[in-house]
Amino acid sequence: MIDLKLSDPHFKWEIMKKEGGEGLLKCFGCSDCAASCPVRYFDERYNPRKIIRLTLLGMKEMVLSSPFLWFCAHCHACTERCPQGIKVAELINAIKNYAVEKGYCPEGYKMQLELLMKMGRLYEVEDFDLKKRQRLGLPPIDKTIPDVAKIIESTHILKVLKK
Amino acid sequence: MRKYAIFLGCTVPVRAQHYELSARNVARQLNIELTEIPGASCCGFPLKAVDAQTALLIAARNISLVSQLKLDVVTLCNSCTAMLSDAQAQLKNEDFRKEFKHVGLSYPNEVKVRHFVRMLYEDIGIDEIKKAVKNPLRQLKIVPHYGCHYMRPTELYGFDSAEVPHTLDELVRVTGAESLEYTDKKMCCGGSVLGVDEELAITMSNHKLSIAHENGADAIVSICPFCTVMYEDNQRKAEAKFNKQYGIPVLYYPQLLGLSFGLDNNAVGLKFNRIKPDTILEKSTAQNQRSS
Amino acid sequence: MKIGVYVCHCGGNISEVVDIKKLTASAEQQSEVAVVRDNAHMCSDVGRNLVLEDIKKHKLDRIVVAACSPQFHGKTFMDIVEKAGLSPYVFEMANIREQCSWPHFNEPDLATKKAKDLVSVALAKARLDESLSRKTMPIGKRVLVVGAGIAGIQAALDLGDAGFEVYLVEKEATIGGKMAQLSRTFPTEDCAACILSPKMADVPANPNITLFTNSEIEKVSGFLGNFEVIINKKPTYVNDQCVACGVCEEKCPVKIPNEFEQGLTNRRAIYVPFEFAVPYRYLIDESNCIYLKKGKCGNCKKVCPHDAVDFDQKAEKVELKVDTIIVATGYDIFDAKEKKVYGFGTNKNVITSLAMERMIVHEAEGRATREIGKRVAFIQCVGSRDEQIGNEYCSRICCMYATKLSQLLKRADPKKDVYVFYTDLRAFGKGFEEYYKRAQKTGVKFIRGRVAEVNEDSKTGRVTIKAEDTLARQIIESEFDLVVLSVGMTPGAGTRQAAEVLRMTKSPGGFLQEAHPKFKPVDTLNDGVFICGCAQGPKDIPDTVAQASAAASRAIRLMNKGVYAVEPITAVVDEDLCSGCGTCVSVCPYEAVKTEIKDDKRVAKVNEMLCQGCGSCSAACPSGASQQHWFMNKQLKAMVGAALGEEEK
Repeated sequence: MIDLKLSDPHFKWEIMKKEGGEGLLKCFGCSDCAASCPVRYFDERYNPRKIIRLTLLGMKEMVLSSPFLWFCAHCHACTERCPQGIKVAELINAIKNYAVEKGYCPEGYKMQLELLMKMGRLYEVEDFDLKKRQRLGLPPIDKTIPDVAKIIESTHILKVLKK
Repeated sequence: MRKYAIFLGCTVPVRAQHYELSARNVARQLNIELTEIPGASCCGFPLKAVDAQTALLIAARNISLVSQLKLDVVTLCNSCTAMLSDAQAQLKNEDFRKEFKHVGLSYPNEVKVRHFVRMLYEDIGIDEIKKAVKNPLRQLKIVPHYGCHYMRPTELYGFDSAEVPHTLDELVRVTGAESLEYTDKKMCCGGSVLGVDEELAITMSNHKLSIAHENGADAIVSICPFCTVMYEDNQRKAEAKFNKQYGIPVLYYPQLLGLSFGLDNNAVGLKFNRIKPDTILEKSTAQNQRSS
Repeated sequence: MKIGVYVCHCGGNISEVVDIKKLTASAEQQSEVAVVRDNAHMCSDVGRNLVLEDIKKHKLDRIVVAACSPQFHGKTFMDIVEKAGLSPYVFEMANIREQCSWPHFNEPDLATKKAKDLVSVALAKARLDESLSRKTMPIGKRVLVVGAGIAGIQAALDLGDAGFEVYLVEKEATIGGKMAQLSRTFPTEDCAACILSPKMADVPANPNITLFTNSEIEKVSGFLGNFEVIINKKPTYVNDQCVACGVCEEKCPVKIPNEFEQGLTNRRAIYVPFEFAVPYRYLIDESNCIYLKKGKCGNCKKVCPHDAVDFDQKAEKVELKVDTIIVATGYDIFDAKEKKVYGFGTNKNVITSLAMERMIVHEAEGRATREIGKRVAFIQCVGSRDEQIGNEYCSRICCMYATKLSQLLKRADPKKDVYVFYTDLRAFGKGFEEYYKRAQKTGVKFIRGRVAEVNEDSKTGRVTIKAEDTLARQIIESEFDLVVLSVGMTPGAGTRQAAEVLRMTKSPGGFLQEAHPKFKPVDTLNDGVFICGCAQGPKDIPDTVAQASAAASRAIRLMNKGVYAVEPITAVVDEDLCSGCGTCVSVCPYEAVKTEIKDDKRVAKVNEMLCQGCGSCSAACPSGASQQHWFMNKQLKAMVGAALGEEEK
């Protein structure tokens, strides 16, 4: 059930300000995105049209707190077909980014951020890996890339997550 | 000799060395030199959902490193291709360039970002590749899997066709193998939702596994380590969930190409494939013997 | 000098934002201003009479009206000024609605300030207005109608019936256009051929209409009342002696898909376009005729009993002089191959709605062209409302023709399962909603959801549609025997060519631009050139016919009096300043400027009949010699000065 009294009129404008959120207002609800979506095809709990609709209606909490927001595989099947030219996958990503700012970051993503802070890569490079690479004649790689942490520190994301 | 920088990303150099190995060996056969990128990191894609701007900056840093080398870059992972291409496009945007400079990065030379396989198709071309095929894999039936960020979004790549992709099919056919025409060729492997909902991810990957199985395919050919995780590493889980026996090998495209070039199993790292490609070996060796 | 200033409230449109009292008070302070008044509706009778009486009573010699856009009511007030005995060009309009109260609705103080400035600017210009007068020119009664679909036919018949001399030019070998291909028309289900063919037959029967088929306009020069037209009459390789006996056709060895039948049947290289074509005469398709390509065969010529085949026929140029032009060049259907996801062109079970029209005609006549199958799906908005392929507009007809075709199928065979997948169902016209309900009663199922993809089973050839039923919120993946793509309208090749030859302005979708969307819907920015039908934008048959009659009547309005007034807003050259460089000649879009030798000096000369007052030459002139009446340089300078708040001199 939707209680329109809870509608936040600023929500859609906030999303539109974000990278990828620009096309939001153009949605005419045809559901080409949902019909093209491989995730929606297997799991009806995820529906990009519904997320966009609720965002347009200003149902901020409903959208941001939904675990299904994170189901988007970012595969761009929708982007290719949206007749209104909305970059749907980027729009959903903009809503995810906004959800993170409002304190709804899934633990898995936080862990990935920590790994990148620590090593600059997702998987730890162990001596075993380096030896295996050497045995196969593959060139050596860096175990850590500290510059990545510097970049992450330069943006607002760590502050946002600490809040 | 053609020269490119090679961007490995996180997964390939530690979890899919056979992909890297076969790519490097195939490149050598085609007179391509691949140069390392000192200081290369994760492409940034894992952070896109958290903060696109941070992800883009990490990607742009990698582009900056390539730019110092005065080379174009090729990638082995679809997600890396997407992230680096996105950052490369963003570097034309004034605001982003400011932020980019603010973190001390520079972009002295224009860099073209492409998937390794796209580079093979565009720069080497089917005709040249065909000349290098010494051991046509005529008995093999292959399910080509493009993955999402190889040709989508069109706006970013302007390559192949998002709706009727054909380049990987052509590249499979040039090895002598049959490339299966099937519906849902463009379907996502499910890799991106693995961390969110494993059941769903497995259901998604099962879709293509069952198509490959029903059509009697010898292997799925993948060009992305994420997709391979879904089709190969998680194949058991799909079999268990749907009560099926697939046993379908998943090859990286350069492995298939390498075999058609007549490279030996070690040169394409076949022993690292989790699902043993025994039928592939049989059929490709049988071919070898007949042709010799 | 005595200036009257009139401020309009526009029934609140202006007065709810702009402080009228402050505005009139400020105007009263300006030099030469004798009268300042305001009124709720300056354009009303009361408002107009205010101006009329003041001019007489106070001997005003300049009028400024602060109201809406001059595009909207400029002419209204110019007529009043002229009626009062003044030149209509001692009048200025300050647009304080579109350029002030509407955009600045949330900033009333600043809007009031801007309105004051706009009035000052208009006053600055008015003080320097010259008493220009309109000239009158003789005009004849000759009209060129381009395109002979239902729009061109209707316009030509109206004009012919009214006694005007009509030249009707059609690029195809027959008149009739797209309507001739339709089965029935919505929502009344009249048989399209039955209501169209008598109108087509009326064309050659009308003594005032000269018909050119298989012809295109190649060049148009001149101006209202004096257009010179060159028509390219392409060869048909069959002369007037043809009686359409059909002997030739039987002997022609060529078989190619029949365009009129959307490829459902074949035709020969020598053929009649269709059974009610006008003129009903054979022609040879030169790109497929073996004789014309290779010099061999010639069967048709050998067997023709009337010696009507003439392989030596050449294209002919026909020169015409006309007074007005009506463009009725229509549309093309969207090329469904562009929409790759739907598989048109690669999958034989995916067809266009136009092919379905033909199939229904053939079915009704008992000569089926192919099996339709039991399960049929219509996909709406193919090529419309789709920014992926660059067409943002709605084609307006597809919802209703799909409603028509689907229920015709269902009524002919109630066992059929017929579905229409739509984005939004737009049943806006008279009788449309009722017709849509009737289709639902007939058993057609309407599903709200845009189809994402059509997939073909490589073994069975059957097609599967994937969409989301947004009302049931369920994914639909269902197999059909036939998928019909409801293709939209695009500005046709004929319309694109006419736009180029006539140098016409186009709207964002590529259709021709009308002079004003509400008050001049069939006029264009080119004097004496009118548009109607789908050349102007997608529309159905009743709207097309209404516009065609409107275009005819607008053309008659200009020609009927035998004379017409010419705007004096033309370029004027100061011969002392002119160096004869010819820059103006190269930028003039109307070929209205030429250079000539005068007193041993090369100077530019403007043909005031051709000049449309666009201002290109004045802007381009490097020496300032070329200026434009009513927009003289000193006026523009004074306006800029007033806008910047400079003291009046």
